[in-house]
Amino acid sequence: MPNAYKEQQLHDALPTTSHDELARQHFVRSFKEHLVTDLHPGLKTVYEKRAKGKFIAEHQREPETIQEVGQVMKQDSHYQAWSSLLRTSQEMMWSSAQIPVQRAIHELATQASETPAAGSLRLNPDLKIPAYHTAVDIHCQPGGYHTEYINNDVAQGAIYDRAVYIYAMGQMGVNNADMGDSTVAWLKREHPELKPTRILDMGCAVGHSTLPYVSGFEGAEVHAIDVAAPMLRYAHARASSMGLPVHFSQQNAETIDFEDNSFDLVVSHILLHETSSAAIKNIIRECHRVLKPGGMMLHVETPPYEGMEPFDTFLFDWDSENNNEPFWRKSHLLDLEALARDSGFQSHKPIQIMVPSAFQETQRSNTFQGGDFGGGGVWFVYGCQK
Amino acid sequence: MSPDESEITLQRKAKGKRPYYFANPDVDRLLSMVMALTGELSVTRDRLDTLERVAAEKGLFSSEDIEQYALTDADMEARAARHQTIFKEVTRIIVGELEDLEATEDRDYSAVVSQVENDG
Repeated sequence: MPNAYKEQQLHDALPTTSHDELARQHFVRSFKEHLVTDLHPGLKTVYEKRAKGKFIAEHQREPETIQEVGQVMKQDSHYQAWSSLLRTSQEMMWSSAQIPVQRAIHELATQASETPAAGSLRLNPDLKIPAYHTAVDIHCQPGGYHTEYINNDVAQGAIYDRAVYIYAMGQMGVNNADMGDSTVAWLKREHPELKPTRILDMGCAVGHSTLPYVSGFEGAEVHAIDVAAPMLRYAHARASSMGLPVHFSQQNAETIDFEDNSFDLVVSHILLHETSSAAIKNIIRECHRVLKPGGMMLHVETPPYEGMEPFDTFLFDWDSENNNEPFWRKSHLLDLEALARDSGFQSHKPIQIMVPSAFQETQRSNTFQGGDFGGGGVWFVYGCQK
Repeated sequence: MSPDESEITLQRKAKGKRPYYFANPDVDRLLSMVMALTGELSVTRDRLDTLERVAAEKGLFSSEDIEQYALTDADMEARAARHQTIFKEVTRIIVGELEDLEATEDRDYSAVVSQVENDG
């Protein structure tokens, strides 16, 4: 795709890179493209040509579960090489994003705190970071979302902003905004009657998906919450540098301090699979509580496993064991209809649909790299109207 | 440098046990190192690419000048010698084992330890 190559949109909060630091990041992006384009298709080939047969010879039937596909695939040299390289690419991605941030950590903190504020930032140093965030560093970002190295630290946010662009190989748009863009486009098309004036984005990280709601619903008051202070400081500086007002606050989506019936729209983007069985129930219940009657809850995720072929499920499940995503598998197997109903959403049928990506500038790979967020061309949206 | 301007070292390893995929995890380790080396090679190639572009823009020389540059036999001989130095460095461990094998006296290391420990 030589003509479609686009670099991330620069903004004032983004760390600057030396020539070689940038080249290192570009290598990782190319490495990931190589894995998706050249090595990923071979997985299906080795499954069909040599792995599946071993299972059939032993059991006189085809593999039916993730575990059964795994039994034979994990022994296959191509799968081993692909997994080893994909894991390595993930580690190199974080490393390449960390190097310029480590070098300029103090300057980045100062720059963020001195950015003239649009919107607001409210931190809560007493907030307990939930165990599902601290048990392992999710998607292998060293230090997770929450680690702080200095006062007013933005390091984890600055690393995340850049790494997401590399991870998605640019396929979430120049601002990594595709999930928000796609959802806003879908809402306007399918629910033109909903004109939200107060919006909440939960688990916003650096606000990649938050900002489309500011530009998409003019005049709306947009709030965004996350548990991690470095993400929020960076998110606030980033949004401010773009002149987009968002009210960021440090909160756990399980227990929000906003009033009942106070939002027209509550959204999240790839949040649910980073939580836990107990937390997800609390979150959906909070969504119901803070929504106004008639308001809409929407969670953007990757598609549930139901109806997928065992082999595709096995590959799609790669992140749960290999990329520090401990709740990935369970979250893709949940009864989402019951979850909504049990959390108070009883007057409308829950939404479970595939929403086309708003980002059509490049030709997509249309192939998942493990749990690739960028390549699918569609997003799964789960939600319900109150 | 004030205390709050101290050099910070970020946590470089993600919390959580790292999975290995090959029967021998050393293969994973080696693959990771090979990819890191490939990455650094790519960084160097990118830098050379930039160098050529800057040189061309400043009117110093072009990529075409590099392609057309004719090495003399003496130049090539010097390069070939440098290649051999590189090979000797890279294959040192393999060649070293052969040297041991060819040595007239190939003594077991523990026997040497025993000798120096017990010669007094």
